[in-house]
Amino acid sequence: MMIRRLASITAIAALTLGACTSGGGGASAAPSTAASAAASAPASAAGSPAAACTVAVSWNNFQQPRWAAHDKPNIQQTVEAGGGTYIDADANLSNEQQATDITTLLSKGAKVLIVLAQDTTAVLPSIKAAKDAGVPVIAYDRLIEDTGALYITFDNVGVGKAEADAVIAKVPKGNYVLIKGDPGDPNAKTFLPQGWDQAGLKDKVASGDIVLLNGPDGTFTDAWKTEKAQSNMEAIIDKAVADGKKIDAILAENDSTALGVVGALTAKSYGYPPLSGQDGDTANLNNVALGRQYVDVWKNANELGKAAGAAALALCNGGDMASLKLQDGLIDPKVAPVAGLTAQPFTTPGGNTVSSFILQPTPLTADNLQLAIDGKQITKDELCKGVDAATAPSACK
Amino acid sequence: MANVADVAPVSGQARPPRSSIRELVAQTEIDLRLFGMLVAFILILATFHVISGGKLVQPTNMLTMSVQAAGIAIIATGMVLVIVSRNIDLSVGSLVGLISMSYALWMTDWFPRIFGISANVPFQWVLALALGIALGAAIGALQGFIIAYIGVPSFIVTLGGLLSIRGLVWYQSQGAAVTGLDPTFQLIGGGALGSVGATLTWFLGGLGCVAIVFLLITSRRQRHRYGFPVRPIWAEVLLGVVGCAIVLGVSWFANNNFWPKGLADRYAADHGIPIPAGGLLIPTGFPYPIILVIGVTLVMSWLANRRRFGRYVYAYGGNPDAAELGGINTRWTILKTYVVMGVLCALAAAIAAARLNGSTLDIGVSYELYVIAAAVIGGTSFAGGIGTIPGAVLGAFVLQALSYGLSFIGVNSPGQNVVAGVVLILAVGFDTLNRRRGA
Repeated sequence: MMIRRLASITAIAALTLGACTSGGGGASAAPSTAASAAASAPASAAGSPAAACTVAVSWNNFQQPRWAAHDKPNIQQTVEAGGGTYIDADANLSNEQQATDITTLLSKGAKVLIVLAQDTTAVLPSIKAAKDAGVPVIAYDRLIEDTGALYITFDNVGVGKAEADAVIAKVPKGNYVLIKGDPGDPNAKTFLPQGWDQAGLKDKVASGDIVLLNGPDGTFTDAWKTEKAQSNMEAIIDKAVADGKKIDAILAENDSTALGVVGALTAKSYGYPPLSGQDGDTANLNNVALGRQYVDVWKNANELGKAAGAAALALCNGGDMASLKLQDGLIDPKVAPVAGLTAQPFTTPGGNTVSSFILQPTPLTADNLQLAIDGKQITKDELCKGVDAATAPSACK
Repeated sequence: MANVADVAPVSGQARPPRSSIRELVAQTEIDLRLFGMLVAFILILATFHVISGGKLVQPTNMLTMSVQAAGIAIIATGMVLVIVSRNIDLSVGSLVGLISMSYALWMTDWFPRIFGISANVPFQWVLALALGIALGAAIGALQGFIIAYIGVPSFIVTLGGLLSIRGLVWYQSQGAAVTGLDPTFQLIGGGALGSVGATLTWFLGGLGCVAIVFLLITSRRQRHRYGFPVRPIWAEVLLGVVGCAIVLGVSWFANNNFWPKGLADRYAADHGIPIPAGGLLIPTGFPYPIILVIGVTLVMSWLANRRRFGRYVYAYGGNPDAAELGGINTRWTILKTYVVMGVLCALAAAIAAARLNGSTLDIGVSYELYVIAAAVIGGTSFAGGIGTIPGAVLGAFVLQALSYGLSFIGVNSPGQNVVAGVVLILAVGFDTLNRRRGA
């Protein structure tokens, strides 16, 4: 669950496309026109046809801090800057409540529906109701198994690749430990390990450069629990010491498990071999600054929110989902979808093909921690807590 | 009342000599259940030792395992009293989470603000621990009050506690992990630095040995004085020798765990000590969490067996009506069992927070299940009135031995859960059969 917690990226500054703010540009507005119009959205908002656009968001929860802190304000600001109206509801982790919420939002006059689904399939009847009402749907951060929903998210395979890229670049040869998340989560079992393999893990294991100390599948962690990850890692360290082997690097799938790994390394006074994680959690970024975690792959929720807001405004004005396009130059090339700035077909695990924007995450190491401060992911005080001035990374100086 | 050695059926001086092994064992007054469980524990370790190619049973591994079991073991001692008095406490995991997060917030946020931003308050770990224990006791008292005086079933009250207290943990930090505790507090979590060292370990071992002999002698004297039957002298000597051998053996074992090489080398460099050929070997001895477990086990056993409170708990569990009619203030007794639980949760939370050097939203999740399992494997009966403190501690170690052993040989969490569940059912099933046969 923690894995979803920090979806974000650095700069999809403007998922534009929408004709929404191009005064008078109808449904057929050329993408480039639309893009430039959206770029100047705040200025041109007045009198725009998008003024009639009500964008509704159904959140599955506000318990994880990111949604209220990063995603919601960015969607809201983007929509309101484009002249639209923002409404939302929080389902408090309940599928039933989410169904009720969506009905209510539709009856309140939603023209576009953004859904952070509690469950990718349980939400389907509600999605059908929205489509029947002629309301386009955006699946926000979490997939919805419906061909009619635009999927805006970060590349989870890419997160795994970024983790392994960083660690393998640091330790090209040696003994690796793999710490995975909940065995029931497709991210833990499939997507992130795929990314590791894309970064060359599989080949290096085959060639013998990398030796896996805890089995070919690594060690899974029930419910991504920090405590469990710590207990498992302690047993792995004990085993490695008993076998006379040195742990050279650790791939942990996310931050909650990486935190447990750091706990185990500290308890065992083992030192801190390069360790990966993802989410940009405060404690983990602090560990990066302290030199206890090598890389934390960060997904900038602020930018994801802006992207969804812009896409919603575009769809509101009748933009075609399959041909939505992002404007050149507005997006940090490091986070733009690998496939380019036009919506791409994405094949879901359920076999459906949906239009999608799959953004790229940002690997944060001691060298570029400033990005997290700039993105308001963490304050400098939090980041640099307990950091020794002599060895501090540049972001802490 | 199976736990109370001096009321167990005893052999008398006047008893005619008997020869069967069963009789000989009976004369030592060893608790056979407990002994059986100890054998099971050793068998589990031996099995994993063989599977792992002879690598599992080493001082380092056994100490890691014990530290991992510490939190569950500590709470399980209290769960025995709760279950014995025919109640249940499902809120322990959430309470551990709440107190653990409190420690983290106090030490990273509150104390610096109250005492000044840079003030490194010397005894802040004492203050944090005291506040945590007070918090645990207060929440325990509240739950105990609702159960004992208002009469809401304990299952319901603590189920409510399980949900609502875990919710409060979220509010404490908005779901974020909080790290960076006081270095002294971190020692509570064990590890190379959080251990007492060789000298103190030997001292404690020696003290334990003296205590065993002393207890055997005083108990014999007491029995003589009141005309109770006493153990044959060979049994007394055997118990003393075996007890001492175990205590000193464990101390020796713990002292054969050495500081990790990196830490020892750094220490040597910092103190200008030349590193000998085989590496600098600094024994760790007992980690603090183990000391805490031993202390809690002794205090709780004393509470359960020697204090009026403990007697009342067992009396109430055996027959609530009789206890009430006998003039026991049953409500006050029940309330107190929950206060004890709260205090124990605070200790377990300190170990959890110190081990991680912080706290997360999920600290303590599903502790209640492991704690109840430990108590039940240790022979506590849901029918009330039966259960022993050392049994529950051993139960926690059995569970952790399975979990650690499986993860040591590379079996993943789902497999660990399957095994733990099956063992729980087997242990209780076996025990039930045994009792039926004995009855």
